[in-house]
Amino acid sequence: MNQNTAHTETGRATARTFFRGISRSRESSLLLIILAAFLLLALLKGSIFLSLKNFEGITTGIVYDLLMAAGMTVVLILWGIDLSVGAVLALTSVITAMLLRAGLSVPLSVVLGLLCALAAGALNGICVARLKIAPFIVTLAVMSVARGTALVLSSGYFLSGLPESYKYISEGTFIGFPIPYFVVLLVLVILHLLLKNWKFLNQAFYVGTNPQSAVLSGINANLVTFVGYLISSLMAGIAAIFMSSKLAMGFSQFGQLAELRAIAAAVIGGASFTGGSGSILGATLGVVLIAIISNGFVLLNGSPNWQQAVSGIILLVAVGVDALRRSREGRE
Amino acid sequence: MGEALLQLEGISKSFVSNKVLDLVSAEFEKGKCYAVVGENGAGKSTLMKIIGGIYRPDAGKVRLEGKEVHFFSASDAIAAGISIVHQELSLAGNLSVAQNIFSHREFVNGLGFINWNRLYIEAEKIFEQMGVKMDTRQKVGKLSVGMQQTIEIGKALSLKSKLIIMDEPTSALSEKEVDHLYEIISWLRERGVTVIFISHKLAEVFRIAERIIVLRDGVLVGNEETARITRDDVIRMMVGRHITDLFPEKGTSRGEVIFEAKNLSRKGVFHGINFELREREILGFAGLVGAGRSEVARAIFGADKIDTGELVLRGKQLNIRSPREAIKHGICYLTEDRKGLGLFLTMKVKFNIVAAALGRFVTRMGFYLPRKIKQQSMRFVQAMEIRPFDDEINVMSLSGGNQQKTLLAKWLCAEPKLLIADEPTRGVDVGAKAKIHKDLRVLAESGVGVIVISSELPEILGLCDRIAVFRERTISTILENRDLGQEEVMRYATK
Repeated sequence: MNQNTAHTETGRATARTFFRGISRSRESSLLLIILAAFLLLALLKGSIFLSLKNFEGITTGIVYDLLMAAGMTVVLILWGIDLSVGAVLALTSVITAMLLRAGLSVPLSVVLGLLCALAAGALNGICVARLKIAPFIVTLAVMSVARGTALVLSSGYFLSGLPESYKYISEGTFIGFPIPYFVVLLVLVILHLLLKNWKFLNQAFYVGTNPQSAVLSGINANLVTFVGYLISSLMAGIAAIFMSSKLAMGFSQFGQLAELRAIAAAVIGGASFTGGSGSILGATLGVVLIAIISNGFVLLNGSPNWQQAVSGIILLVAVGVDALRRSREGRE
Repeated sequence: MGEALLQLEGISKSFVSNKVLDLVSAEFEKGKCYAVVGENGAGKSTLMKIIGGIYRPDAGKVRLEGKEVHFFSASDAIAAGISIVHQELSLAGNLSVAQNIFSHREFVNGLGFINWNRLYIEAEKIFEQMGVKMDTRQKVGKLSVGMQQTIEIGKALSLKSKLIIMDEPTSALSEKEVDHLYEIISWLRERGVTVIFISHKLAEVFRIAERIIVLRDGVLVGNEETARITRDDVIRMMVGRHITDLFPEKGTSRGEVIFEAKNLSRKGVFHGINFELREREILGFAGLVGAGRSEVARAIFGADKIDTGELVLRGKQLNIRSPREAIKHGICYLTEDRKGLGLFLTMKVKFNIVAAALGRFVTRMGFYLPRKIKQQSMRFVQAMEIRPFDDEINVMSLSGGNQQKTLLAKWLCAEPKLLIADEPTRGVDVGAKAKIHKDLRVLAESGVGVIVISSELPEILGLCDRIAVFRERTISTILENRDLGQEEVMRYATK
């Protein structure tokens, strides 16, 4: 019997080290959870969950969140936050739609729309990096300004009647897949690699970990921070182009609570409110996890109205688990 | 024999697989002052945290006044009369002195409203006892570190502590403040309070403690009456080997002028700063805290503005507006606050080492060369003897001495022409200290200009070839370090 106990003890120890090894990398543990959720839903609601239509529903929805979660990750690494992304999305969609309706060509309207998004990012960046105002306050104000401007410009109406060629951006395909998927994949991969291997962007980790040490080590913290907010807004701008093309209109209420989902996904993916950590891959997995859980909720419960509450709960759980882990590490 | 206040019997503690304390037993009597010394990582802080209820021992007993006690938290220990004054002070800067003293124990009436008058009066009483003049209504954040420490001790007194543990209490104090701390400690002892004092500075340990307890690698290797042992004995016990040369040899013949500061001034901060630095010499900045030493260094480094004056490096006049430009010219500044202003604690050792020289580890397009980074960081880990021998772990998990070596490596990696090292060995153990001193000397011999700022006169005298003594925001004199005594330097620093 003694031998038996010893056996289970070693067995348990092996299992413990195995799980500890896995949980050490945020991305791999996220992947496991996603896999588990996927299997569970396939078992419970296989016929609907695995249908092409459901799959399409999930992927169309996450294109926008993927972009904004990636941008949010950069800003969170910089020890900042960007609450304005949802509103910038709305404003960009309204301005692009207005330009198109005024008869400008599609490429020109898109470029001007993205410039408008970048302008919002520049405003955020200057206030945070140069004027040293708290990012929470700055982006909260810009959120209000952007959403308000979109409302005034569109008088609250749907700006529909966009040219047919504009629709091609979201519905055109490349090897059978819609163009947005390729663009998003490309953007995420590039951003991931730049953040990891490109000196300029990688400096965000130094700035977010200890801004004062970064400056005293010769890092241009202001510029890195400024560019971080530009990236976040640009992501919202690209999302706005895809969304307005897909739905064939600009609208001041687009992107409601997009910032919440972006923050939730980034934090689930390893970003922290105290800066210096996070990854694009993690945020991507975070978006997928939130999407699958929300989808499962709808499939099992029937009411899509729960979606918002579910994102909030996932964010709380993620942050809670994070805080618990940190306090345990701190004690050790 | 006095009455025993605290007895430790066979205390052991491990973290994961790392044994930090091994069967430590000691006795602390009422009204005496004990010093606990040992290299960083010897287990001093862990032992104190066990006494203070922050950690629980794996094995062994803690007896307080003869009764075995089990603390489950710091508040249990405080309730039993044990207070810790931490190295990093934990006062709330935005609150008044009195609020800090009585935090969570404010005097309230039946409705829960605070009786502010009584709060201030009671706080004043405590400082009166201690013989300290203190406005208990002012905010703590505006006070000097020394004053804040006095407040922490006052807080401990108000909690009716029988045992006060002070963790490196003098590391950020000026000489005068240290003297004052000694007075308070003697006064505490007269009142029957036991004081345990953790310090790296042996001179002050010998001055203040009645017994010295030495830890090495978690084992208690010495527990002696101060009068019966010498400094060399203690050092031997600490490192387990004989350190003959605490300081490296002085510089060989001086070469050309590397750096000149001409008439630097910054309004209200420093004025009339003139000095030159030659090849193969180490120039010391001595003086009291607040005399302007670090401020001059920051200004040369471009972290603060200079109003007037010239900086000349290797014959070239410089116009430096930011640390980035300073580093480009080869001027580096090792800050005194390694955690706040130097390192990136939650990042890996290797990324810390290359932090100030990222531009030298990239392709023309700005992409990292990971193999070059790895190679360089391992070279420094090896050369600086950073332990553990691993550049993939977070700096946070290193001991203070190894963190400091990492910080020095960061600046050496930037290939300085002039390195200003501000308190390069603060809070660092004897072994790391000797190593850092040696490295600075080697650096000077290799043709890099080295300036050392230190509040420890023995360090300045042991390490530097010439000493610029600061007084009241300017250099009062520059002394040739030949047969100089501490008293002579102090005379110029204080007047």
